[in-house]
Parts: sequence; structure tokens; C-alpha cells
Amino acid sequence: MIDALKREELRSRLVKALGGQRVLWKEADLLPYAKDTYRIRFDEEFKYLPDAVVFPDTTTDVQKVVQIAAEIRVPIIPKGGGSNRTGMLVPIHGGIVVDTIRMNRIVEISAPNLYVTVQPGITLKELEERLFEHGLALNQEQGSLRIATVGGSIATSGFSRKHQKYGTIADRIMSLEVVLADGSILRTGPKVLYTSTGYRLHQLFIASEGTLGIITEATLRVEPLPEARDAIMAFYDDFWKSIEAAERLMGSGVTFAASEAFEVEDAEPYGGPKGETSIFYVLLEGTKGEVEAETAFVSRIMKETGGVLSSPEDAMKFVNRYTSQWCGARAMTGFEDALTTYVPMERMREFYDKLWNDIMPRHGTGPLPGEKYSLDVGRYRIMAGRFFLPKGEGGWEKYQELLRDIAKLTTSLGGSISSCHGVGIEHKNNLDLEYSEVALDTMRAIKNTLDPDNIMNPGKKLPDKS
Amino acid sequence: MCNMDQALSEMLEISEKCARCRCGCCKDECPMYSEMLEESISPKGRNVLIRAISQGVLQPDERAARIAYSCLLCRRDELSCTAKLKNAEATETFRKYLIDKGVPLLPEHDILAKSLENYGNPWQEPKTARRRWAKEFTKRRLVPGKTDTLFYVGCTFALDRTLQESPKALARLMDRAGESYGLLLEDEICCGSTVKRIGHSKLFEKLRKENENRIRSTGVKRIVTACSGCFKTLKQDYPDLAKDVEILHSTEYLARLVKDGRLKFKRSDAKVTYHDPCHLGRHAEVYDAPREILNAIPGLRLTEMKNSKDLSRCCGGGAGVKTAYPEISGKAAIRRLKEAEKTGAEILVTTCPFCVQTLKVAAKATGSDIEVVELSVLLDRHSEHKEVHIG
Repeated sequence: MIDALKREELRSRLVKALGGQRVLWKEADLLPYAKDTYRIRFDEEFKYLPDAVVFPDTTTDVQKVVQIAAEIRVPIIPKGGGSNRTGMLVPIHGGIVVDTIRMNRIVEISAPNLYVTVQPGITLKELEERLFEHGLALNQEQGSLRIATVGGSIATSGFSRKHQKYGTIADRIMSLEVVLADGSILRTGPKVLYTSTGYRLHQLFIASEGTLGIITEATLRVEPLPEARDAIMAFYDDFWKSIEAAERLMGSGVTFAASEAFEVEDAEPYGGPKGETSIFYVLLEGTKGEVEAETAFVSRIMKETGGVLSSPEDAMKFVNRYTSQWCGARAMTGFEDALTTYVPMERMREFYDKLWNDIMPRHGTGPLPGEKYSLDVGRYRIMAGRFFLPKGEGGWEKYQELLRDIAKLTTSLGGSISSCHGVGIEHKNNLDLEYSEVALDTMRAIKNTLDPDNIMNPGKKLPDKS
Repeated sequence: MCNMDQALSEMLEISEKCARCRCGCCKDECPMYSEMLEESISPKGRNVLIRAISQGVLQPDERAARIAYSCLLCRRDELSCTAKLKNAEATETFRKYLIDKGVPLLPEHDILAKSLENYGNPWQEPKTARRRWAKEFTKRRLVPGKTDTLFYVGCTFALDRTLQESPKALARLMDRAGESYGLLLEDEICCGSTVKRIGHSKLFEKLRKENENRIRSTGVKRIVTACSGCFKTLKQDYPDLAKDVEILHSTEYLARLVKDGRLKFKRSDAKVTYHDPCHLGRHAEVYDAPREILNAIPGLRLTEMKNSKDLSRCCGGGAGVKTAYPEISGKAAIRRLKEAEKTGAEILVTTCPFCVQTLKVAAKATGSDIEVVELSVLLDRHSEHKEVHIG
């Protein structure tokens, strides 16, 4: 937190600009903003309180807050749904949390041009529900969609399981409005999907983690609702057999909507036969004829690779419970973390072998039951898994070493450390493994140009210059 | 371990599990968070507060108490929480914990508690006012040994003049079905639901003992109540009484009468939707009985809202929120009313006095065409009359 005098000045100016109802500054109110879902040390749970939390309704409100912060030189931490997992939202230097959650209006839906313009605080769930009423869909399904916001999803470069057919949110941005660190308002370009005129400035703000500005409006490409939808699911006794099926699917040219292959502790609760330990599902969307033909095609692949097909009802039930599986294990198992590494397909087996047979035992830990292997099938190659944190004395330090070793492995195979959770605090000191010094200096130069006083979410994303 | 120790240990366990995750899924469809959009006004936010206060990071103050009282205890969050944490239970215990730590009740809640101490009801009405609704039913005064069934009316149905058609309707339905039942009239004692939910355990225990003694002295074997709050409290917070006496919500009781053919209804072409009160639905899992009764009215069309049964959104009237956060409570009611309007229903039926109150106010405030009707009143309108002799 900043010193008391400066804090009082900050509070009084924020209240004057926004009104008392839209500024939180009492400790009891600030506590939940001390961290996101990042696995912080338990003794630091309440260490990083912000100085104030503000709730802008409009771009002008955001502008006012940024101008105050720039003048008093206090950090700004832009916030969406608050579900980030890498510490992106932890106010490590205090400052103002700009909670965009009340900026949740739909500004325009253009059916002829297939786009929607929204304020950043609308949740992905609510946006999909509202678009559905117009026969449209954004098709962004991530585990946290009930609480994740459009702004947060862009700033993290969020995942969507329907990436194969519709891309992730990064692929759907047509134009952004951003309040920059000096309070000016940047419009990144016209509301078009393709142009070859200016620099594509909106790309800068994808995965920017609030370090370059505050996204205040987004225009996103939407699609008409498909005529038909079907899910097909198979159980396997060996995860690698399901990967054989996934590879055949990816090589087939079928444009499926979503597909995942993963290990489970027991397939029985999902309607599978006893003893089966892996699940492979494919979600198909399109015209009725397309979906019928593709379902038959995918079934054949599944059967030929040793899969036991589930009932259509079990398959759809499984697909529909997707978002409810997002985070429960964290609360129940306690000290665990999740990988969202992106690894080239041909290095997958090598990655998992080294991860579970070498790195994890070396750090005295291992996978959660049934959480060892997982692949988001398609263009997005997340090789996921959940692991217990190292315990005992020095556990935190061992955890940091473990993260470094995972990062070394991933980058040595040509992959990326974090494919959809961002960098935040968790991965920032490992970014040197993924990017050259020239690349990092280029990023620092961009940051310095847009935010010379380093007030936008300082201490996140980029490693300090050694 | 005594009950409070156990409750405290469960509260701390819940808040710790929540701290391991902090995903915030509980905010999805939380009626209070939906309106206020502040992290502290969510199950996650309260769990953070519980940890901070119990660890001595923060001294409990008036703001902390306001946050503790910002929950409707509706339990909708348990469906959103992947770990199914019982956050409402933790919050109720937290309120008790704060009171034990010497944090004063909110002034708005203090008025309710003082009224209960002085008048025996939360609404500052004299005891005799409890029989005001029952002028037609004074012959139903309970005589020990003469009937097995007590119609327990509850403070709000008995004392809110805008709701008194409900106990009358239920009494008439029971009369028409030829049921034997008795009323305590001015001798009825508050179940203590209101003070239980705001964490005033001392006053609740006093009321519970008095009420339980009164009920036991009548020798009844069954209690029927139309108030969802009284029903939950008598059934779940009077463990000894519930072992010896059958506690029924009026919808469960009426569903039996319908099934036995003792209540019949005239044809109706009304289009209705049904709002599940939290205390009846998620807390006591009574979802089918009210629907069975509505479906027994020939021709009536029952359409479900987007969020119904266990997913139903709270009307905003529960757990002291209506008193402490009247504006937010009103917004939550309007949001629920809008869901009802979307079904195209002409009538919004529910079975809890607080839900009726809040939803009626919401309908009036928004100029809605939908009519909010308590279930017994609707049934009474459509009931096939036959001559009834009381006594």
C-alpha cells in the first residue's frame, strides 16, 4: 500500500471523480482483491491489498481514474472476472484495482456484419446467452466462462474448447477501444475482421495482462447458430490409443468444433465400462447433413482405434458438464497446480515421459489421480495435467524450481510455457527460456512507449532486465 | 465438541477450502453479487473475510458486519461451486461468531430482535393481532387431545394485512377437505427463523424452547405451515421436535389431499409459473408437491422459468437482507419477476410470505401485468366449493 497521506489524496480524488458508491477503500472490502486464484504462499494471502477498488461504468470513468493514477503515480490493476491463475491481478505494489465488472453492456449487435460490440465486463456466459436470443454465438467456451469476462479473456488470450472451428477470442477481435496509461483513448482500427492498412494494434492487447492499457470496448466476430450439434465419445483402456484416434481425426480434415482426449481415474461415472481409463470426445456442429456424416466418420475412427462408444446421451451429458469441472479439485485436494503447456504433437510422449518420470519425482511430487494426461485436440495443443505442490520445508522454493524445470522441458521441445493462463507472477521469471533477449527487449520497448511511468499492472508479465 | 464448536470448525474448513481455490464460480447467479458486483458481496468474499477475522488479520467492525449480513442464505451458490461448499452455513455461523465477539447487530436487525423480545414477533404487533386474520375461524382454536394437526400460521402470514388471504384460503381448503386441525391464534409463538438467520442464537434458543413447549403441550402429531421459513426452521432447527412430530409444508399436505381425491378444482385456462422459495426448495428439497397441486387444476398451464427448482433464483427477501439492504433486495425481486414475465405467464405463484411480499412490490414498482399469488389463494379460487360445517 502507498503511504497514508498519498492514499487519502487518492481516495478523495477517486470519490470526487466517481462518487462514493463506486470506490471501495475499507479493508474488509479490499480483502478479496488481494489475490486471484494464483497459488500464492498461504502466509501471503492478505499481504498485497490494493489501496482502492473502483467500479467505472463508462470509458470516461476509466479515463478519469487513469488520469488520477498517472498524476499521483500509483499502479493500476485492471480486473475482469477475477479468475486468473497466474497472479496477474495481485496488487504487489498496491494501487487501484479498476474492476470493469459493471461495464457489462452490449453496445451493438450487427447480424448482417456478424459482429457484437461490448463493454469489457460482460461475462462470456451472459454474452453467449444474449447472442443466442439473436441466433448468434461467440463460441468461446472456457472452463471459467460463467465468471470470465470478455476484457479478461482478451487480456489473458483465453482458451476456448471450440477453437478448432471458431478459434479463440484472439482470433475473433475486430477492433478494440483501450484507455492508455496517459488517459488517452486508443481505437485500434475500424470494425473489420481483415485490413491491410495500419499496424494491427489490437494484437498488442491480446495477452497484455493489463500492462499496456485498459480495454474498455471490444468488437468481436460472431457466427450464426449451427443447424445441428452432436457429440460422440469413446472410452479407451490406454490414453495413447485415444491419442492415436485424435491424430487420425486431426489428419482427416474434419472441422470439428471441440475435442479432447484425457486420462480419468475411472470411466464408470461417465457411463464407461469398468477398467477403462481414458476418454476421447468430439463435438460436431454444422448443417444436419454435415454433422450426420461427420459423426459416422468419427465413430469409425474411434472403433478402429479400440474405443468403446458411449451412448449419445452420455456423450452430450459429458459435453454439457464441461464448465462444472473447472476448478473443484483445487478446493478439495488443496495444494495443486495445473499445466497449460503447449507442446508440438510429435513431442507429446517425450514431454509427458520426462515430466512424470523425471522432473516430478525429482521434486518429490507427482500427478493428481486421473490427471496425468490430457490433450486439447486440434490447433490448440494444450498438454495439460495437474500436480501436487512439493510439501514440507522449502516447499515454495521447490515449487518455483519445479516450474522452472517444466518451463525448460517445454521450451526445449519448441513449446510454450502457458498457452492460456497468462504469465502474471507465476511464469514471468521463466520467460527468458521462451523468448530471446531481443524479443524481450522489444516487448519492454513497447511497454515503455505505452506506459513510460510503469503504472499499468507493474511487476507482471515481463521479467525484470538483468 | 459442542454444536457451536463444530459449526465453527466447519466454517473454518469451508473458508480454507475456498481459499485454496478462490475461483469465484459462486458469483454466477448469486442474487446479491449480481446486483452489487463487489467481490466482498459474494460467498467467496465472505469466506475471505471469515479467514481474515478468524486469523486476526482484521478486527471485526461495522463494515465487516454489513458484509456478513449481505447474504440471502439462498444456497444457489452451492450449485455453482464445483466443490459444493456449504457457504450459506458458514455465513450463518459467521454471524453468530461476530455476535459472540461483541459485534453489535445492525441497527435494522436490532429492531427485529427487540420486537421479538417485546412482542413475540418481528413486526412490532401485539400478540392479540395474531388472531386478526382468523375471525371466521375462531372455532378452530386448538383444544389439546381433539385434533392431531396444528395449522401453524407464522408471524408474517398472521400479521401482514396484505397477506392474510393466504391463511384464510388454506384454512378454507382444509375445511373443504374435511380435515381436522387446530389453531393457536394469539397463543402461537414465533418459530425464531428471523433471529436464527441473523445469527442471534441466544434469542433463537429462547424462542425455540418456548415454542417447542407450547407445541408439545397440545399433543399434536403433525404441524402444517404455509410459511417456508417456519417450515425449514421447525423441520431442520428443532431436531427433537421433528423426531416426534411430523412437520409438513402446506404444499406437501395439500398434495396428499389432492392425491386422495379430497380436494378438487374447477377448470382454469390460466397460464402460470411457479417460483420455488429457497427455504422450501433448496433447503428442504420440496419441488414436486406444489407442481403436483398446480397440475391438478384442469386446464391450467404451468410453464417453468429459465431458472427453476434447484436452480431457482432467490426473490431477495431472505435472511435479514430485505431489512439491511432494501434496495438490493428490491432489485433481486425485479430480476426474478422478469424471469417470470419471460414465460408469458399471467400469474406468478409462490408459497412463502416473504417471496409474495417482495415479488408483489416488484410487480407494482415495474407496472408488471403479472399477478403474484400465494398458492393457497390460487387453489381457493379454483376449489370446488361444498358446504362446510366447522366445530
